Amino acid sequence: GSDVVRNAHHLHAVGKGDPQVYAGKAGTPRFAIGDAVTVRELPVLFYTRTPEYVRGATGEIAAVSYESPAAEDETWDIPDAPPEWFYVVSFKQADLWHGYTGTASDTLRTEIPEHWLTPAV
Amino acid sequence: MSDHSHDHDHDRTVKPMVDEVTDFEVLEIAVRELCIEKGIFTAEEHRRFTEFAEQIGPTPAARLVARAWLDPDFKALALAEPMTASKEVGVDWMEPTGFGTPSDFTAFQILADTPQVHHVIVCALCSCYPRPILGNSPEWYRTPNYRSRLVRYPRQVLSEFGLYLSDDVEVRVQDSNQKHRFMVMPMRPEGTDGWTEDQLTEIVTRDCVIGVALPKPGVTTNVIVDTRRAVHPVGE
Repeated sequence: GSDVVRNAHHLHAVGKGDPQVYAGKAGTPRFAIGDAVTVRELPVLFYTRTPEYVRGATGEIAAVSYESPAAEDETWDIPDAPPEWFYVVSFKQADLWHGYTGTASDTLRTEIPEHWLTPAV
Repeated sequence: MSDHSHDHDHDRTVKPMVDEVTDFEVLEIAVRELCIEKGIFTAEEHRRFTEFAEQIGPTPAARLVARAWLDPDFKALALAEPMTASKEVGVDWMEPTGFGTPSDFTAFQILADTPQVHHVIVCALCSCYPRPILGNSPEWYRTPNYRSRLVRYPRQVLSEFGLYLSDDVEVRVQDSNQKHRFMVMPMRPEGTDGWTEDQLTEIVTRDCVIGVALPKPGVTTNVIVDTRRAVHPVGE
């Protein structure tokens, strides 16, 4: 069993943590806190971690989170997947759900990688 | 042989520990033994991870909240550097592998409630949960019911937990769908003046740091969900 190829991730992340191991590898974040962004409608064949309920919706950057390869690449263990910035995006619940029954101030926050976001027009 | 009378004493027959070994258990043993045989992991590593998973629980999270209530500097640290603050209640997010657990990651954030904002967490995609500091997730947290309804009907779901929030409070649902893990820091309730850290820790239940309950003097256990009666109960 010693020739089983594994644990490359462990070896490069040990002592740093994940996603800290990707810090500094995504360049300058495209968005800043307060920016209005719209979630793109990208194809989601086989895998995504961007919830269906936010696609096409416009929200606001609440936090610039960390750098990491997108889950859509990590899930297939793609070795040269480029790290990108992740953001916590805040949405007004009334913008997400038709006939939302809570208040106008209720919100939902979810984390989205940069390639899924575009500046809101 | 064929005249076996079948009158031996069944009560004295050696029995297995369980009535039945399920398909799940058969598969668990098969997968684990194959992994050990192939060198994917060792029996020692399996034991160590099991021991890690068995010693985690919600107490460190409760103590962190209680300490933050008593110490404004610690509260500031908890909100700015939550993993540093976690160490002060005995939780090192880098354990047990040296790079964190493979499924909980090392991007932890604490969401502080205010008089204007109430946070509640969910993982609509699966069951992501801040296990190193909060232990294993409750069964209901993993259900498609909670995951699909909390994002859409948060006030109704919270009311089923007995938590009714007024309309001047923003309900902020946090869906943990990537590497961040979240816990809620509720506000310190009235009627706790002069309480010690231990007393305050006791009322910060697991449900309070998920956000489906508020801490209350005298309440030291999780909420019992107000389950609706079955429309067609079994046996009718």
